[in-house]
Amino acid sequence: MSGAARAQADIAELIWGKVILVTGKGGVGKTSVAASLGRLAAAQGRRTLVLELDAQNPSLNAVFAAKARYEPVEVQPNLFIANLDWLNALKEWVERVIPAKRIVERILENHIVQLFLDATPGNREVVTLSKLVWLSGEFDLVVVDMPASGHATAMLRTPQEVMNLFTAGPLHQRGLEAQALLESPTTHLVLVALPEEMVVNETLETYNKVRAEVPKLKISLLVLNRAARPSLSDDERALLERLSAAYPSGAEGELLLAGRWEATLEAGTASALDRLGQEAPLLPLIDVPRLAPDGGPERLVRNLAAALARSSSRALHPGGGR
Amino acid sequence: MIQPREVLTRRKLVVCVGSGGVGKTTTAATMGLWAARQGRKVLVMTIDPARRLANSLGLKEFGNTETQIVVPDLPEGGQLWAMMLDTQTTFDELIQRMAPDKRTADRILTNRIYRTMSDTFAGSQEYMAAEKLYDVMTSGRYDLVVLDTPPVKNALDFFEAPGRLSRFFDRRVIKWFLQPYEEKRSFNPLAAGTSAVVFKLLSFIFGKEFLGDISEFLVLFKDMYDGFRERHEEVLRIFRSPDTSFVTIAAPTEPSMEVAGFFAEELRRRGYPRAGMIVNQVHLCAEEPLEPEILLGQAARTTGADLHERTAASLVARLGAAHGRLRQLAHSERVLIQALHKINPAGAFFVELPWLEQQVYDLGALRVVADSLFADA
Repeated sequence: MSGAARAQADIAELIWGKVILVTGKGGVGKTSVAASLGRLAAAQGRRTLVLELDAQNPSLNAVFAAKARYEPVEVQPNLFIANLDWLNALKEWVERVIPAKRIVERILENHIVQLFLDATPGNREVVTLSKLVWLSGEFDLVVVDMPASGHATAMLRTPQEVMNLFTAGPLHQRGLEAQALLESPTTHLVLVALPEEMVVNETLETYNKVRAEVPKLKISLLVLNRAARPSLSDDERALLERLSAAYPSGAEGELLLAGRWEATLEAGTASALDRLGQEAPLLPLIDVPRLAPDGGPERLVRNLAAALARSSSRALHPGGGR
Repeated sequence: MIQPREVLTRRKLVVCVGSGGVGKTTTAATMGLWAARQGRKVLVMTIDPARRLANSLGLKEFGNTETQIVVPDLPEGGQLWAMMLDTQTTFDELIQRMAPDKRTADRILTNRIYRTMSDTFAGSQEYMAAEKLYDVMTSGRYDLVVLDTPPVKNALDFFEAPGRLSRFFDRRVIKWFLQPYEEKRSFNPLAAGTSAVVFKLLSFIFGKEFLGDISEFLVLFKDMYDGFRERHEEVLRIFRSPDTSFVTIAAPTEPSMEVAGFFAEELRRRGYPRAGMIVNQVHLCAEEPLEPEILLGQAARTTGADLHERTAASLVARLGAAHGRLRQLAHSERVLIQALHKINPAGAFFVELPWLEQQVYDLGALRVVADSLFADA
């Protein structure tokens, strides 16, 4: 494992907070982690919303066997899901400024206005974050399944940029609110990674970028998904090598290849933990084993939630186990 | 049926598309190396490749420099070049080239909306990739360009974003926004028609300053719109050309398959030439279970006689379990690959590359992969 100084993961602090933002490189299991955290919070009686942003085909649908739309739907007691698309968010925002619905609709129907709004830098992001600010007032906890890390980092930077660009006015105001949400002590950023070199590179890059560009946003946890904890002894490894040299092919060779395949996965996890320990020693880390894919996304999330809960340094409900 | 090797010897542009993390950059480099070994002068254009791959190719600096890679034993005419795209530099260069005079260029380059836009504008990376591609393709410097497309949040961005950016510079949008300004300070919303009314409402929502800033920025750009649109259309023409091939790169995982399926449909809809698919990192394993004790029990005990007494038994047990998991993985990958096969168009190639124990990070390893990919049929 990594350096002794690493802070312990505290899932309780996350699920008793107000906002959890989950990001990571594409395909690392962001949605599963977001959904798991949502489940854990809802199980503690917190009114929880798990949110996807502008998803063409929300991954949450498969996890909860429901359809995520703009308006939150309750999929389990206390647990809601939604898909926040920015056009609806924009419409809602404009309607709050101009209460006349018909005028708003006419403006937004204008083809050129649409092109303009679509292409204006930062507009999408600020409108989306504004809606998140409102939602966090309506739920105990909002868990956001963010876009992949590159895009998410740009999004986290937007409030600051919008405030720099517009020193006053409604957009400045939106930027201020969004920035306050990001900097709140009850807002947490969670990074998800896999024990693969390229993924670890991108994760560290994101970690450093967010720390530099949004310094007051708390990065509270790194989930190393699909990890294979080293389990081969030195003797077993030595024997595996000797046998591999003796049986390069055939059925024996295939068995040995399977052994080397798992050894490679374990080595990958070890070196990922090592690098993360060296380059992000203070970031609390939980490694979650690879879970069998055959149970479907719902079961995967249930198992993942259990694994996350087990790795917490204290009990999930307040007062327990401190 | 077109073979992968024909694509690399005959085409002028090969575009690699697919989701992130499927070995797209490595595959692009493999193709580039192979084509160079056939005597072609090749440029591999890439964005943020894995660091070790970059190092092994001798690509250390960012900033749009085309760098020649030293490859031993290339035939006459064969050269391998590589370039890492830097979005900001490309955008700046583009402004400098297209601005009517240096003063306008300088004013744009220091404009704060421009700085924000070129940095964070969603899709500017895709747009700039297309822009640089146009540059390189029309220069005639290379026989073949292999483009490793940028990682996209959602695969649609690669096709949509450049258009979105060029629409931003659409004359009608500009004209519409400049109108109230050109009608001078004293414009009367009632007299100025619907655009002024909408404009006034927008400025109420977004603030006058915002619209003012944008309008000022657009004024600076007003002589360049046609240039932007023409170049965008040029790039689309290159994409549709019979000298171009799109190759979809995938890995046998569900998210990567989804993206691949999406690309297949979009390429078809847009009439872009689809040459085929390459599936990387496929785990190969026989369907039937193996008997580890029968196959290796005795050998393990003999070979490991000097090791800890339980080593042989526990390793043999582990091998059985590992093989079971590998079989399960291979089976679920097989199902995904069959689904992918169905969306590959008739006449396009479909290549599977096995999972490799060693990661591919140097020219030697690339050469091995290239030989298995493009071996004579």
